[in-house]
Amino acid sequence: MRGGLALGPPALERAADELAHHTSRFEVYAKAGETFLFRFLPGGRLERRQQREVGVGCRAAVRGLVGFGAAAGSAPASGRDAARATLASLLPGPDPLPPFSLLGASAVPPAPSLGDPAGGEQLLGQLAAALTRTGEGLSLQELRLLLGRSVVTLVTGEGFAAAAASAACLLEAVVAAEEGPWRVFQFAARSPAELDVELLATTARETTLLLARGTAPREGLVDALLAPPVAATLVAALAEHLLAGKGTAAGRAGRVSEAWHLVDARAGPQGLVPMPFDGEGLPSRRLPLAAQGVAGGRLGTWADAQRFGCPWGAAVRPSYQHPPRAGPANLVVTPPEPLPQGELLHHLERGVFVPLCSGPVTVDESGRFSLPVAAASLRRGRVAAVHPAAELRGSFRRLLGGLLAGGEDAQSFSLSCAVTTPSLLVRGLTLG
Amino acid sequence: MASRAPSSLEALAAAVQEVRPDGFRDLYIERVADTVWALEGGAVVGRHTLLREGAAVRFPGTLRSSDGATRVILAELLGVPGRRLPPVSFPPFPPAPPLEGLAAETLRAVQAVRWRWRWAGLVDERSWRELLRPQLGELTCHDGFRILSTWPPVAAPADQEPRLPRGPVPPTGPLRVLLAPAAAAVLLHEGVGHLLEGDLLAANHRPLVALGTELADPALTVVDDPTRSDLPGGFSADDEGVPARRRRLLEGGVVVGLLADRETAPRFGVPPGSARRASVHSWPRPRISNLVLEVAEPPETPLRHEADVEVASVRSGSLAARTGQVRLAVRRAWRLRRGRRVHALPPFLLAGSLVDALRRLRVAGPPAPSGEPGWCGKAGEVVPVGAVTPWLLTEGLEVR
Repeated sequence: MRGGLALGPPALERAADELAHHTSRFEVYAKAGETFLFRFLPGGRLERRQQREVGVGCRAAVRGLVGFGAAAGSAPASGRDAARATLASLLPGPDPLPPFSLLGASAVPPAPSLGDPAGGEQLLGQLAAALTRTGEGLSLQELRLLLGRSVVTLVTGEGFAAAAASAACLLEAVVAAEEGPWRVFQFAARSPAELDVELLATTARETTLLLARGTAPREGLVDALLAPPVAATLVAALAEHLLAGKGTAAGRAGRVSEAWHLVDARAGPQGLVPMPFDGEGLPSRRLPLAAQGVAGGRLGTWADAQRFGCPWGAAVRPSYQHPPRAGPANLVVTPPEPLPQGELLHHLERGVFVPLCSGPVTVDESGRFSLPVAAASLRRGRVAAVHPAAELRGSFRRLLGGLLAGGEDAQSFSLSCAVTTPSLLVRGLTLG
Repeated sequence: MASRAPSSLEALAAAVQEVRPDGFRDLYIERVADTVWALEGGAVVGRHTLLREGAAVRFPGTLRSSDGATRVILAELLGVPGRRLPPVSFPPFPPAPPLEGLAAETLRAVQAVRWRWRWAGLVDERSWRELLRPQLGELTCHDGFRILSTWPPVAAPADQEPRLPRGPVPPTGPLRVLLAPAAAAVLLHEGVGHLLEGDLLAANHRPLVALGTELADPALTVVDDPTRSDLPGGFSADDEGVPARRRRLLEGGVVVGLLADRETAPRFGVPPGSARRASVHSWPRPRISNLVLEVAEPPETPLRHEADVEVASVRSGSLAARTGQVRLAVRRAWRLRRGRRVHALPPFLLAGSLVDALRRLRVAGPPAPSGEPGWCGKAGEVVPVGAVTPWLLTEGLEVR
């Protein structure tokens, strides 16, 4: 993967040429992505969007000064603009770029083929038909299919060059029962061929109808079976918390459940978006975040590692527009002894089933979270009451310590990062 | 929002109008410069600059967009040979303004300052137009809260009020809430602005409101005003090229207008002019610009003695358009007794029926301009908005 600079768009080469006049300690990161978005709207109207996102972001260290600049476009002028913006932003600071000797790439599964994007319209039509087939009391608000592929290229002034391709697809359905709020369902996969339209439609229909009417829950501590969409939202927030080095207190106290096995599988093979290198060219590796009763500590970019003394390799870069930052990339939860959903419900006996989020999670500095959800109270494994609007609250300390088991029903989601998780059974969360 | 030379937009428009690609609706070109300064103790410790240029072409039911706006890219988006288009050049990215112009106490009170310059041009079948917006300034406070205004950001975001000890959240249930202008702006934005956006009304099988609905207290008159270039949501023309004008939404508490783009306007029988794009990659959609609540004779001082809680700022707000439930995540608030602040409150949630909240809403203090809610997100697409609202008192929200 090491070679010349003849990779990526002309903007990348021009940016490298401009920066090379000033320093060899620079990096140019180019991303070229193409996205097809299909929206199926009420009345059968279809909206198509074809979007190409391309640009370069540069970091440079010049005699004790460091800077970052970025510009959109693939033409040489864009590379020139990005390089000049970088040089104009130079300020005193430590060199943030990893040393050449550490740069590299890991082996990853090849990016899947998305097929002919025009097939997306057919897929949406199938889903619409499956959702409305029985017709009873379900209103179809919107279906969205997003097919995305991209190539990132990273070169440095010291001669490192690497490129990586990725692709994924995302299907979202917004539906409502006759009485009740809109519900949003998301299904992500590496390719459209992996999407089971009938299963998605059944899940969305049954969940929406189940959660249409009910009462507010009486506030209290509950054992909760979190379906994959809810588990994924909390897992993504937990991973951010752990990566920032805020989860070590729970780890030291031995309060991490043995049932946790959460890793950032950056190089795959599991998960939605494996990549051969991180956001600054360090080879991807598996980063354990909670496993064998221990929560991981802070992980960071190379610059974080120099500042905080933490391990590096956790840089993410969703776009060329921003410098790398520490964050989870490709989270995977694999319980050591996964259970079928029937057994999870049996374990629950008396508690709540939380199949769906109804808003974004909020997290405070100490790791207490609050998540709007729709839920159902269970007694002896049967639905005793439905709560169309409720709030699930707790702390990451509780979430780490209270995991009892995980399911066999892993699903993938595209949130602030990619998350693949099954249902999780957690003791002692608050529903209100 | 000063106008500038049209650069090559006029020549480009002539060429596009001559070629007339099949089904062509419009071509949108945008240039955006963003500079962010990171600060520690008032000193600059980092600076990033992002220069974006892109273009989008609309055909019936289809939007094609790309980063970059070279002749080759424009030709590709339009589906015409490159030689049919003239060489193009658009206004250059201006240099970022000096940060030294901002007050030292402002710089000490924040962790980041952001400046944004944005230029856009639109070509349709018959005309072309530059779309001018004010330069924006954003301050990021130490707790991550962001305050948006036009450039330069003048208000020091530091909590100026004397610090009071923090007490418990009020018990769950209804209470009398006094909303300062920045918080009132969020309630109006969610409750009046989003509720009257044409695409959301069209998508909802059972919309909560229609023209003629008595929505709020008869004392309330609300206008959407993009001509206010001193507020973050100002523009010279919307992103479909319709010249900006004030749009009356509520008159005496009754719905008299809606926010519409060219697509939804005919459906509701209202004029277009509220189409906004978050970026070249977004469809233009009906969006709020600057909401202004007009009041004849507001009280000169906030009516604290009539409230249980005073809310100074709200971190976020949301409206479930189908159920009419509004939620405000309160950031800074105080418990009031006999018109005096007795203790500060930790963050909490205010929620309730929007209709209840608006019908039991009255003016409770003088108006003030505000950048709140700042960046308005809708289906993941974010645009800057502003507001001018007085202090408001409502009894229709509950602590959750």
